[in-house]
Amino acid sequence: MTRTLLLSTLLAALFATPLAAQDAPPTLSMDIPVMVEEAAAAGIDHSYTGPWEYFVGGGAAAFDCNGDRLPDLAVAGGTSKASLYVNRSAIRGELAFEEKKDALPDDTRDKVTGLYTLDIDNDGHRDLVMLRVGENIILKGGPDCSFTEANRAFAFDGGRAWSTAFAATFEPHLPFPTLAFGNYVDRSAPGSPWGTCHDNVLLRPQGAGGERPDYSEPNVLTPGYCALSMIFTDWNRSGEPALRVTNDRQYYREGQEQLWRVSPDRPPRPYRRADGWRRVQIWGMGIAEADLNADGYPEYALTSMGDTKLQTLDDEAEADRPVYRDIAFDEGATAHRPYTGDDLKPSTGWHAEFDDFNNDGRLDLFIAKGNVQQMPDFAAFDPDNLLLGNAGGGFSEAGDKAGIALPRRGRGAAVADFNLDGMLDLAVVNREAPMSLFRNAGARTADGSARQTGNWLQIELRQDGINRDAIGATVTVKSGNETRTRKVHVGGGHASGSAGFIHVGTGVAERAQIRVQWPDGEWSAPFRVFANNFVVIERGAAQAQYWYPPE
Amino acid sequence: MTLPGLEARRRLAAILAALACGVAAPAMADDVPWAERAITEHVDQSALKGTLDRETLLDLIDKGEKLFTAKFTELDGAGRKMATQAIIPTKRKRAPDAAFQRIAGMDANACSSCHSQPVIGGAGDFTVNVFVNEGFTNADFDTVDPQFSNERNTNHLMGAGLVELVAREMSDDLQAIRRDALKKALEAGEPVTAALVSKGVSFGKITAEPDGILDISGIDGVDTDLVIRPFSQKGVMTSLRQFAVNAMNQHHGMQAEERFGARWTGEDDFDEDGHAGELTDGDISALVAWQATLPPPIRVTPQNEAWRNAADAGSATFDAIGCNSCHIRALPLSSLEFADPGPLDAAGTLRDGEIEGAVYDLALTEWAETLERDADGNYLVPLFGDLKRHVMTDRQVAALGNELLAQRFVERNQFQTAELWGIGSTAPYGHRGDFTTLDGVIRAHGGAARPARDAYLDLADTERSALVAFLKTLEIPQ
Repeated sequence: MTRTLLLSTLLAALFATPLAAQDAPPTLSMDIPVMVEEAAAAGIDHSYTGPWEYFVGGGAAAFDCNGDRLPDLAVAGGTSKASLYVNRSAIRGELAFEEKKDALPDDTRDKVTGLYTLDIDNDGHRDLVMLRVGENIILKGGPDCSFTEANRAFAFDGGRAWSTAFAATFEPHLPFPTLAFGNYVDRSAPGSPWGTCHDNVLLRPQGAGGERPDYSEPNVLTPGYCALSMIFTDWNRSGEPALRVTNDRQYYREGQEQLWRVSPDRPPRPYRRADGWRRVQIWGMGIAEADLNADGYPEYALTSMGDTKLQTLDDEAEADRPVYRDIAFDEGATAHRPYTGDDLKPSTGWHAEFDDFNNDGRLDLFIAKGNVQQMPDFAAFDPDNLLLGNAGGGFSEAGDKAGIALPRRGRGAAVADFNLDGMLDLAVVNREAPMSLFRNAGARTADGSARQTGNWLQIELRQDGINRDAIGATVTVKSGNETRTRKVHVGGGHASGSAGFIHVGTGVAERAQIRVQWPDGEWSAPFRVFANNFVVIERGAAQAQYWYPPE
Repeated sequence: MTLPGLEARRRLAAILAALACGVAAPAMADDVPWAERAITEHVDQSALKGTLDRETLLDLIDKGEKLFTAKFTELDGAGRKMATQAIIPTKRKRAPDAAFQRIAGMDANACSSCHSQPVIGGAGDFTVNVFVNEGFTNADFDTVDPQFSNERNTNHLMGAGLVELVAREMSDDLQAIRRDALKKALEAGEPVTAALVSKGVSFGKITAEPDGILDISGIDGVDTDLVIRPFSQKGVMTSLRQFAVNAMNQHHGMQAEERFGARWTGEDDFDEDGHAGELTDGDISALVAWQATLPPPIRVTPQNEAWRNAADAGSATFDAIGCNSCHIRALPLSSLEFADPGPLDAAGTLRDGEIEGAVYDLALTEWAETLERDADGNYLVPLFGDLKRHVMTDRQVAALGNELLAQRFVERNQFQTAELWGIGSTAPYGHRGDFTTLDGVIRAHGGAARPARDAYLDLADTERSALVAFLKTLEIPQ
């Protein structure tokens, strides 16, 4: 080949290939998890069903209710019955669940939109909060996945609203958690549904304590703007979590996103424009929180119709000035339309959750997607997103490659390691369609099989007395220069709140140093652990312990 | 910059490079005898599957030796302009002034430039001490100041494959004890305490709770995950493969794809030196195969009768005063099949199951038949060690406590028992090479070794001399 011909060929290659490359999907260098859908084989046949009231909701809660540390699964059903599935999966094997039909009192199982779990009465058993169309219900957890209605016992008035959001926090000096309920449209108000959003409610435990909480005196959070998700978040590192609420602009008038100061012993008060709070109006469906840039301040993913928002504190923000800006576009996290298929209409996002699905040490973002019902201006085929964290920051879509791009209308979800193999699995509640249960089989190889992902840790926190599961704690996991942070919280997502091991991918680090900032602000000593272990940290202990699943 | 823009620029660079090759082909060619690069062809990992036959193994070993002795050049990718020596890929804040740097590295042109005495793969003099700094923080300050490093003498690698195989079996034993304790506790519904003993070496104890919680506070001399990490003076490296990946980056700035490649770092050229894929999986396998098949040190019989007699007496004294409580003469090994990748590595080092790996059958080596066997048919690996970490200082005897930093959770004054095989060939002694005589380093044993050291001091001069005479017979074959 003459040099001239060579040059021509090379130049042709230079200028011809980029056009083709623009059409080709980008090659992802990070591990892509192989998510194997096996709900039916695992024994789960469940759909979230119902008319308009159930266009929203569809929650799930993964948590251990029988003491074996395997995450069990409670699922809302709408007009179908809510169900509890006991996890019978083989360790590191395929997923298996068995429905425990008598776990949830039968008269509570209808009209359930969402489920959140926490130990409200500090008895060592996680309780279950059922959001419903109508009376909300607190189920007191007992041994072996037994639950009893506790509204009367806890002096809790479940009300008659259409509830779609929940969050909880333990405030200083209170013997039980403070609960927040978010409500949607007040269907009985004149002109409903337009501009008739229900107020939300904050419930502080009354009295000095005892065996049972007393939630008899609600604080009304008004105005309500049709909340679809809420989370207590220490947005300014004050140690005093505020209540972030995402609202659905479909029904409010002059509404917006909200952030409420929740100072001890004082009524909650919303941040306003004068405080720096900027009006954002979205079809807010779900919230996820994570400190993506490791600056100590959380970022928030807010799902919506069209763009997902990703908010970070703006340079103008100050200690009590919550000024946020949107970085979703910069970070590749807008997820605004389906990433596969021919439907190019805007997406509809619901549950959001930051987690590390491929154990590369970087947070990924899962978003459940699905048309509200048959909204013609929005995508009908709207697959769930799995936005994998890039090494240099930002996200890349891998939902289709991972295998989660199913033609189902996703709503709530639970992310948990159901078979305790160190890799996060995924349960997605779908509207009018079978629930999806994805087993994370590992990292995709060139031939489509799966291999091991990066290293990981799973951490359980325990403390005596009030707040046994350390809700509100911060966990830092340091390996080399990387510090990975997780908050323990109850709330957020879309109608779905799980509890259990805190999962942290550590990439190529085989050792890590864990520190815990307990909910009262006290920092633990550093705990030195080796990766690929389940770690149990008891408050006050000099050394972490390992936990091993039964072989 | 947008991806297409970046791609276009890379492509243009490739074209210009190709054109430059066209213009100056003879000078830049890789296959000319004077080529200024050490690696002209990477080792193909896909050809390494199953148990390698002798010919394939020898070929791989040959390639490994070439890599071990290669003087890597910038054309190979030597140097790590924008990466530190850290075992977790870590960026420098800015490029160093000079490619070579004795403390932060890169600090050597070839593996064999340090591992050279008395043969390639051997140990090193004080002049080739290395500085161990994790390389996670500010490379402009604390990685170039020796006070933020631990200085270490170069270990020999002879018999390293046997060492790793013994460590694998011991890890397997300890983890089986853990499994058994957990199972028994679950069945009995009450805590079960189990002694962690493998090949006669005690690693403390564990207590398993019925609910699967394990009390690890009683573990002694091994990491809490019960993986024996047999390499480095501190016992912090799991495998020759992990060691090779670590060392190639630290000392030469040659980055292995299996840790520094795009899978984990998002970049093909993490150290930003213009070279992607500096070391392939196959290259690392070749280095592992070469090291794993290095012949073990031997005990020689001195020609000199007086030395021979003294050595015999010293050998008996070695046991009599308790040196052998840690420097165990030989540990049994059931199999010589060296799987690569191995079973215990974590992500960042190629793992068992990630590829269809190879087995290097050490029985194919010429030296394998020299290994003694016990009554059960186990090979006896005469390493004079226990693969366990011990505290080596106390208030009175603290010379070995001269490190400034803990390393990977191992405290400053804890070291893995030095394997004495080959010690007759590897002066100076001690983790930093501080001791020019064996007598000196024995006297420096404190902490857990204090009773044996005191017993040594109580010996008559002739007995101490005899012990040294014995140790001097533990040589690296030449």
